[in-house]
Amino acid sequence: MEPIQYVGEHLTPGIIGQLAITLGFVSALFSAISYFSSTSSSSDRRWLTMGKVGFGIHSISILSVIVVMFFIMINRYYEYQYVWAHVSDELPLKYIASAFWEGQEGSFLLWMFWNIVLGIILIFKSGKWEGPVLGTIATVQVLLNSMILGVYIGFGDNPYKLGSNPLLLLRDTMNAPIFNNADYLALIKGNGLNPLLQNYWMTIHPPTLFLGFSSTVVPFAFAVGALIKKDFHGWLSPVLPWALFSGGILGIGILMGGAWAYEALTFGGYWAWDPVENMSLVPWLILVAGIHTNLIAKATQQSLRSTFAFYLLTFILIVYSTFLTRSGVLGDTSVHAFTEMGLENQLLLFLLLVTLVPGGILIWRWKQVPNPEKEEPTSSREFWMFIGTLVLFFSSILITASTSLPVYNKIRQAFNPAYIGEVITDPIPHYNKYQIWIAVFIAFLSGLAQFLRYRENSLTSRWRKLSIDWGVSLVIAILLGGVILLWIDTFVWQYTVLLFAATFVVTSNFWYWIKILRWNTKLVGSVSSHIGFGLMIIGVLASGLNENIITSNSFLMEGVIEGDDASLRNNVLLFEDTPVNIRDFQITYKGDSLDVYTKTYFVDFIKIEENGDTSEQFTLAPNILYEKDFSKIAAYNPSTKRYFGYDIFSSITALPQVEMEAEFKKEKEANLNYKTQYLSFENEITVYDTVINETTGSETINEFKVFLKGIDREPTHPEYSPEQGDIALGLEVGIYDIKAPDKIYYATPVIVIRGQLLYGYPVQINPLNTKIKLPDDVLDIIFPDESRIPYREIKLKKGERYPINATYTVTFEGFNRSPQHPNLQPKEGDIYVGGQLKITRNDNVNFWTEPVFLIRDNQPYFLKTQIEKIGFHSRFIEIDPSTETATFSIALEPPISRIPVEIATDSLRYDYIVLEAKVFPGINLFWLGATLMMLGLLLAVIPKLKKKYALGS
Amino acid sequence: MKKIHIIGITMIVVAVVLLTNAAGDMSTYASFQEAENSQQRVKIAGELAKDKAMEYRPEVDPNYFSFYIKDMNGEERKVVLLAAKPQDFELSEQIVLTGQMEGEIFVATDMLMKCPSKYKDEEIYIKSGEKEI
Repeated sequence: MEPIQYVGEHLTPGIIGQLAITLGFVSALFSAISYFSSTSSSSDRRWLTMGKVGFGIHSISILSVIVVMFFIMINRYYEYQYVWAHVSDELPLKYIASAFWEGQEGSFLLWMFWNIVLGIILIFKSGKWEGPVLGTIATVQVLLNSMILGVYIGFGDNPYKLGSNPLLLLRDTMNAPIFNNADYLALIKGNGLNPLLQNYWMTIHPPTLFLGFSSTVVPFAFAVGALIKKDFHGWLSPVLPWALFSGGILGIGILMGGAWAYEALTFGGYWAWDPVENMSLVPWLILVAGIHTNLIAKATQQSLRSTFAFYLLTFILIVYSTFLTRSGVLGDTSVHAFTEMGLENQLLLFLLLVTLVPGGILIWRWKQVPNPEKEEPTSSREFWMFIGTLVLFFSSILITASTSLPVYNKIRQAFNPAYIGEVITDPIPHYNKYQIWIAVFIAFLSGLAQFLRYRENSLTSRWRKLSIDWGVSLVIAILLGGVILLWIDTFVWQYTVLLFAATFVVTSNFWYWIKILRWNTKLVGSVSSHIGFGLMIIGVLASGLNENIITSNSFLMEGVIEGDDASLRNNVLLFEDTPVNIRDFQITYKGDSLDVYTKTYFVDFIKIEENGDTSEQFTLAPNILYEKDFSKIAAYNPSTKRYFGYDIFSSITALPQVEMEAEFKKEKEANLNYKTQYLSFENEITVYDTVINETTGSETINEFKVFLKGIDREPTHPEYSPEQGDIALGLEVGIYDIKAPDKIYYATPVIVIRGQLLYGYPVQINPLNTKIKLPDDVLDIIFPDESRIPYREIKLKKGERYPINATYTVTFEGFNRSPQHPNLQPKEGDIYVGGQLKITRNDNVNFWTEPVFLIRDNQPYFLKTQIEKIGFHSRFIEIDPSTETATFSIALEPPISRIPVEIATDSLRYDYIVLEAKVFPGINLFWLGATLMMLGLLLAVIPKLKKKYALGS
Repeated sequence: MKKIHIIGITMIVVAVVLLTNAAGDMSTYASFQEAENSQQRVKIAGELAKDKAMEYRPEVDPNYFSFYIKDMNGEERKVVLLAAKPQDFELSEQIVLTGQMEGEIFVATDMLMKCPSKYKDEEIYIKSGEKEI
C-alpha cells in the first residue's frame, strides 16, 4: 500500500522536540559523569567545566522541548497525540499551561524545569560543592529525562519501551479508519482539558508542588556530596537554607492541594488521608525532622548521621510517592492517582537507584561519620529536639506503612496469586487515632524545648527562671484552652488533651518570643512555624469535630430503612422559590442562569437566631459545568461563604435527571403524554390530570382550567434567540388548578419558522407538573391562506368611518410616522408610515390596529396586521399625499376559535436542586496556622542568607 | 546503653504494637454472604449489575439511591446508598462500598468508584460532534 500523503501536518516541531529530548538525555548523562569525575580529582578543573557545559546543553534542550510543547499546544496541532488529548479549540489560552502539566509527560517536564532552575542557581552559588551536588542533580535529570524518551530497547516482537514521548503523532499512537483519510486533520478536534481542572488551582498548585518536589533534591545532593567528599561538617551550613526553602515550598504545595479540594472540588474537606495526600506529607515530615537534626548538628556536632539519613530519605520518599501515584498501584484506594502508562518498571528502577546507591554510600561511610561518644544531656535542647525528630520519623513510618498496603498486597500476590489483598476499612479514623498522639507529643516538645539551651548540662542554675517561663505558658494555655474548649464544645478526652497541647505550643512560643528573644526577628521563623502548628491543630479540631452538615434532615425521611442512621442523610431537596428551614437557616433556591457551559444556581440563606429573628442574609452560588455537548455534567463546583469564625460551604449533589442527561431529556420529552386541546378567546377549557399514588394505588384527579390570553407575534422564550427572517408565534396561555383559582400561571409556548424548518419551544409549568407546546397546525390557524381571504379595498381620510357590517365600523384615526410592527426592522433609506385603525363594535368596545406601508429600495411592502379576537385583517396599500387619503385592504373573517395547543400533565417538575451545605467553624484558624507554619520555614531562610557563609563557602 | 537507645527501642515496640493493633482496621473485601454472617461494617468490591434497575428520585428522597451489585462471588444484592447518585455512576468498572447488611439490603455509607480514564477510551471526536471509533 502506498503511504498516505497527509495534508496539513506540522512535523518540524516534533522533529526538533525529539532531537532536544535525546540531546537532553545524553547531555545530562555527560554532565553527571563529568561532575562526579571532578570530585575525585579536585585539582583538575576540566571535569567541572565539562559538567557545567553538559548541564548547560541539557538545560537548553529541555527548555526547547517545553517551548516546542507550548508552541504545538497554542497552535492546536492535533496531529500530536499530547495536544489532541489535552487541548481543544474551546480551551482558553490561560489554561494552556494547565493542559501542559495535566499529563504525565508534561508534569515530568515541569519537574525537570525546576531542577534546571535550581541547578543553575547552584552552579553559581554552591562553590566547592558544585561537583557532587550538580552531579547528583544531573543524574536525577537523566532518570527523569528517560521517562519522556520514548525509545524502544531490545529486539524481536516485544522490545521494551523506555519512557513515554510527549511528541508522538496521534496517527502513530492509535489505529483508526479516519487515518486513511489524507485530510484527517480537518475532521478531528481535541479532547481538551478535563473541566474539573479548568480553574486557577490547576494553574498554581502543580508548579508549586513540583517546585517543592524538585527542591528536595538539593539537601539530598548535598548529603550525597558530603558522603562522597567525606566532608561531614562543611555541608551543614550551606544546605540549611535550601532545606528550609524546600520545606516551606513543599508545605505550601501540599496546602494548596488541600485548599483546592476544599474550595473548588466537592470533596467536602481539606484532608482525607488519601494515599496521594499522605505520600506528599510523609517526605515533608521527614524533611522537617532533617531540618531539626541539621540545626542540632550545626550547634553541637550531634545527630550528624540522622541528618544524612533524613535528607536522603526525603528525596527517596518523593520518588516513592511518585511511584505510588503514577504506577497505578494505588488503583482503587485513591481518588486522584494517575492511570497506568507502562512506566511502572522504569519508576521502580528510579526508586531503587535513588534508594540503593545513596543508601549504600551512607552505610559504607556510616562508621566514618563522626558521632560524639558523649551523650546529649537530658537537660539540653538537642536531646528533646532529637526526640521530636524521632516522633516525626515514627509518624512517617505509621503513615507510610498504612498507605503502602496496596504495595504490600501486590508483593504478596506476586508470590501467591491466590492471596486476597487487604484494605483499610475506614481510613480517616485509622490515621487519626495514631496521629493525634504524635501531634500531642510534638506540641509539648516544641513548647518545652524552646526554652532549653544547646549543650546545657544542668538546669539547676536557672531552674527558677525556667519554671516561671514554663509555668506562665502553661497557665495561659490552660485558660485559653478552656475558652476554646467551650467554643468547640467537644469533651472527648483525647481531643481535649490535644487541644491543650496545641494551645500550649502557641502560648509557650509566643512567650519565648517576647520574653527570651525580646521580639527579635532573627528567629521569628522558628516561632512562627511552631505557633502556626498549634493554631493549625486548633483549627483542625474546631472544623473537623464541629463540621456541621446543616442540610442533614434528621426527621424527614426516617424509617425508610431499618437502622438507618439519619446523620448520613446529608442532602436537602429545594424547590424553586420554596423556602426550607434547615438548622439555623432558612434557605430558598431562587433560580439559575446558564453561561456557556456553566449553570449557576442561586440559593438564598437567611440566618435565624435562637429567638426566631432573622439576622443576616446572603446568597451562595454553587454551579455545575456541562460537557461540551451538554450530554452530561462534567463537574460540580461548590460555593462558600466565609466568615471570620466559620465557613458555610454548599454544593449541588444532584439535579433532576432531565437537567443532568441530555439523552434522558430527549427520551422523557418524547414519552410525554401530550393531548391536543382547543382554545378560544371566549371560553376556558378544562383539563383533567389523573395521578396514581404509587404506594397506595389510589387515584387523584386534578382539574386544571386553561384559557387563551393573547397571541404574541414577537414572543420571547429562554431557549429561543431570534434571527432575521424568523416567523415566530407565541400563544399566551393561562392555567390554574381549580383548587387554587387565584394562583394563575402564565406560559408562552413558541413555534418558529426558520427557513424550511419548524422549531418548537415548549414551556414547563413546574408547580402543576405540566408542559405546554404548540402543534404545527397552529400556524395554519393563525396564519390563514391569504388568497382565501375576501379582502375589500377602502379609501379613507383621517377621521372618516366605514361600516364593515352591522356589528363593526372601522375609523381611520391618522398616520403614524414611527409605527411598531413585528416584521418592521427599519433600514437606512426606508420610508414607512403606519395607518391607525380603530374598529368599533356595536356594543362600543374598541379595537386598535396599525398596518404599515413601507417603501424599501423603491419597492412597496404592505405589512399586515390581524386582530385574531374578532378576525379582522388589514393592510395599508396606498397613500395619496395630495388628498391625504389612505387605501386599506381589509377583511372580516369569523374570529379564530379552536386554536390547538398540546398539554401534557405528566411532565414532572424539574425546578429543584439537591443541595448539601456544611458549616466549618474555625477553618480559618487552620489556614492561618498552616500558612504561618510554612511562612516560618521561608522566613528562617532570610537570616541564613544574610550571613555571609550561608551560601558558597 | 544510652538513653536515646532506650527511647528508640520503646518507640519501635510502640510502633509494632500499634501496627499490630491496626490490623483490626484492615479487612479483605468481603462478599455479601460474609457481610450477612458477620453483621459488621465491611468493604465490598464488586461490579454494577447493569441489567438491574437503578433508582434515584431526588424529588422523592434526595438521600436514597438504590442499585444492584454483583460481588466477587457473583452474588447479586440490592444496595442502598444513603446519598445522592454520584456522577458517571453507570460508567464505573469497579465499585467499592463500605457499609453493612440490613436484612436483605446492603446499606452503604461510602462508595469509591473506579472509572475508566477520560482519555483511555480512545475516541476521536469528529468536528460535527459525532463520535467515531
